[in-house]
Amino acid sequence: MNIKMFLGRRSIIAFIFICLTGILGPVLIQGNPQDTAGAPFAYPIWWNSRNLPASADFAFNEKGCGFEWSKLPPAVFSLMGTIHADPKANVKIIWRTPRRKYILASLTGQSVYWLNLDGRDMIFKQFLGLPLIGKSVDFLFPSKGRYSLEIDGAKYADLKLSLPGQRHGLLGTDQRGRDVFVLLVYGIRTSLIVGISATVIASFLGMGFGLAAGYIGGWTDTLIMRAVDVLLSIPTLPILMVLAGIWGKGLWQIVLILSIFSWMGTSRSVRSLILTVRESPWIEGLKALGAKRSYILWRHLVPETAPILLANIALGVPGAILSEAGLAFLGLSDPRLISWGRMLHEAHSFGAFTEGAWWLLLPPGLGIVLLCLIFMDIGRYLEEQIDPRLGGGGRDA
Amino acid sequence: MLDVRDLTVRYKSRGNYIDAVRGVSFTIAKGTFAGLVGESGSGKSSIVTAALGLLPESAEVSGKIEFDGTDILSMNEEEKRSLRWRKISLVPQGAFNSFTPVITIGHHIAEVLKLHMNMDAKYAEERTERLLEEVGLPASVKKRYPHELSGGQKQRAAIALALACDPSMLFADEPTTALDVMTQAGILKLLKEMQEAKRLTVLFVTHDLQMAATICDRLLVMKDGFLVEEGSPHEIITNPKHSHTKDLVNAIL
Amino acid sequence: MNKSWLLRRIFSSLAVLAAVLVLNFLLFRIMPGDAVSTIIDPNFSPEAKNRLRALYGLDRPLIEQFFIYIKQMLTFRFGLSFLSRKPVWDELMSRLPGTLALMSSSMLLSSVIGIWLGVKASLNRGRWIERMVLRAGAVTASFPGFFVQLVLLMLLARTFPLFPLRGSMSIPQPAGTSAIIFDYIWHMTLPVITLTLMGFGGWALYVRNLMVRTMGEDFVLMARARGLTERQVVYGHAFRTILPPIITIMLMSVPGLVSGAVITESVFSLNGVGTFLLAAVSGHDYPSAGAAFYLLALITVICNFLADVAYGIVDPRVRIEAGNK
Repeated sequence: MNIKMFLGRRSIIAFIFICLTGILGPVLIQGNPQDTAGAPFAYPIWWNSRNLPASADFAFNEKGCGFEWSKLPPAVFSLMGTIHADPKANVKIIWRTPRRKYILASLTGQSVYWLNLDGRDMIFKQFLGLPLIGKSVDFLFPSKGRYSLEIDGAKYADLKLSLPGQRHGLLGTDQRGRDVFVLLVYGIRTSLIVGISATVIASFLGMGFGLAAGYIGGWTDTLIMRAVDVLLSIPTLPILMVLAGIWGKGLWQIVLILSIFSWMGTSRSVRSLILTVRESPWIEGLKALGAKRSYILWRHLVPETAPILLANIALGVPGAILSEAGLAFLGLSDPRLISWGRMLHEAHSFGAFTEGAWWLLLPPGLGIVLLCLIFMDIGRYLEEQIDPRLGGGGRDA
Repeated sequence: MLDVRDLTVRYKSRGNYIDAVRGVSFTIAKGTFAGLVGESGSGKSSIVTAALGLLPESAEVSGKIEFDGTDILSMNEEEKRSLRWRKISLVPQGAFNSFTPVITIGHHIAEVLKLHMNMDAKYAEERTERLLEEVGLPASVKKRYPHELSGGQKQRAAIALALACDPSMLFADEPTTALDVMTQAGILKLLKEMQEAKRLTVLFVTHDLQMAATICDRLLVMKDGFLVEEGSPHEIITNPKHSHTKDLVNAIL
Repeated sequence: MNKSWLLRRIFSSLAVLAAVLVLNFLLFRIMPGDAVSTIIDPNFSPEAKNRLRALYGLDRPLIEQFFIYIKQMLTFRFGLSFLSRKPVWDELMSRLPGTLALMSSSMLLSSVIGIWLGVKASLNRGRWIERMVLRAGAVTASFPGFFVQLVLLMLLARTFPLFPLRGSMSIPQPAGTSAIIFDYIWHMTLPVITLTLMGFGGWALYVRNLMVRTMGEDFVLMARARGLTERQVVYGHAFRTILPPIITIMLMSVPGLVSGAVITESVFSLNGVGTFLLAAVSGHDYPSAGAAFYLLALITVICNFLADVAYGIVDPRVRIEAGNK
């Protein structure tokens, strides 16, 4: 096999790129992916529509801050930090809009105040005299113009005004405000780990059973093949659902469950290969020379199966990835684990459709599709290498 | 009955040309049992395929094949189809998978009867039984599937099928290949009987000169696409003129 | 029909069923703790749980439980659902028609469209329809169907609100039978269309390959030699010969069909056996989960058996012993 040509294939390059992103991404990205990064259901930052504001954060001190605002109101108004003042002084926090001013807080009697004002709080709305139903940001940001925040009577302050906008991040945010792009990168690991390990385990199981059936023959063969037939007749997804629901939804449980139900195909191929090779002259020759059965098995038959195994692995990974994604989509995966299937589940169950949040659907879905296509291409390439007839033979005269 | 003039058939295969038939001309008079003898690759089967108008699109043909005065090669598909089986039919090679596996023998026969002779179902069934009996098979064969019959039985059924629409000309392309000697003899005898009874013109294609000499009135010898010699069996065997014919004769004697 | 062949088919189906039953039993009995202790429903007091344990016979030895279980499964008495307290049988039966309708309509459409395309592709070698079939077959094979369904749902129910977002009927139900029927069809269009979309490619490719191979066979040439019309040759002989393998993939596609239906029901929030199984499994409702799984496996086994029988009807080589001379 020509290594250079292999590495030059687009699918291999894409695969390496994805692996690197999956490994390095979590290292390079700061912060916890599970943290709320912005407003819920924020659009991607490059989405150009209806003057949606991007997220804006302002860190400032007792001198206050001011800025121009020309877009629609942000999703959230959040003011946090500390203010130091003389206990006898009356500290006022004033929010000036182009229309009027609001006194956000009037504090006295302490030397240090810890602030956590959120425009969504009922108490906040009540304090400002705003209607309790509806968004306070609509009132706090009535129009385009100049806005400012002033602190009266403080010695010093260390504050941050967070205005998560309706646009945030490369790929928007989900229902909890988590950055979708970050989730996407973290999800690479899950898909690859589950996909590859489940298939590898299944392939070894398949090889084991195939070898046993083909080489030992007799009752072992019949038994194993009957088992294969029965297992193939059981509807896959329901049994996976039952197992996941009952045994647990953890990563390695899912891997095991997937392996148990995908070794059948490989075992059949291995078995038929062994059956053909078993009768071949050179095996007969080895037996005549006095070679032991175990020697023939390990030193000759097993290496024969290696190419099939490799191709089967590459072609089996998409199936495993899809099964994991399917289970996760149904909700049967570890909620603490970030996976693309889980992202689709949350999109489906937590309102992405009512919000029209397509950015919660397309990235994880397309990621799954991409991985599947990559492995299918690799698998087909390996198959062609093993059996050159398949490569050009597809063209019928 | 059959007048072949300057027939050339070439197949195109991956950029190369294979000359199967090179400028072959011969005439077969009505009522003759003629034999076309040659090794594999001599072009004999291509002549049969060409006469039935069944050459693949990739084949290049030139020349004329005149059947009863009309050139088959210049006919369109409609005309060819009306000719097939009604006027010219074929008994294929013994090893040929010539019957559709999921359809009964009777159905095969009834199908052509309905199509070419416009028979209704009842009459077609009667005729099917008669045809089978004529070739020495029990009428119950009509309900059998091809895989249930032995090689010899299948060939007899193929003959019955070939004669179903009362054709005037019959091609028999190596009909006894893959059959054992006893069965071969039976099939040959049957063919001869049918030809005499129905006054058919037969072109019997084979690689076996001895077999052809036994039953044919006239022999045509082919090699590598050329027609190298023709004559009566007696002439050919006792006085072969071409070197290839001499080789073939020597192989028998 | 050959009796021994039929008997062998029945026996093999029963073997699968037996395996499913044993598997089902073991699954729910050998996990840590016992079924009742893991009930999440806070309304169950410890006394109630003990009573439930006794009711389900969970305090009896395992062998005895097994026989009780077999008897229950064979008589379809599944007990009460842990979650809804209603008889599981009723719950399943109310949902079964919907699931069956979804599965059978998409199977029908996929196969009919796929077969038609496959035949057309094989007759038009090298033209666009063949290329389309080849590509569609390769793509739909390893593609996350539920992603396509989600995208189409978003596109056709939210971006362009042509279809409903969820459910199999509107709430409240419209008045009049024809309005109800129309409403049902409107709700089921997207699920059925998307399931069909995922399935037709495989059919088309398989049929195309079969036809291409068969059209090159000797007996097809002979059929032409007999002066049969092209139509008779293609449909009466070539296609007729590939019917048995077509039945085979109908057989092989049933487990996939069940899985597809489960996912589709989830995506479109339909009230079917699949969503019932999901809820039961997520909520540790063992009677319901076991029964739902059993039902789905039963459907699979029955469909496989029917396909086997149909294969035998259609391919005489299978049911008539070769060599009757």
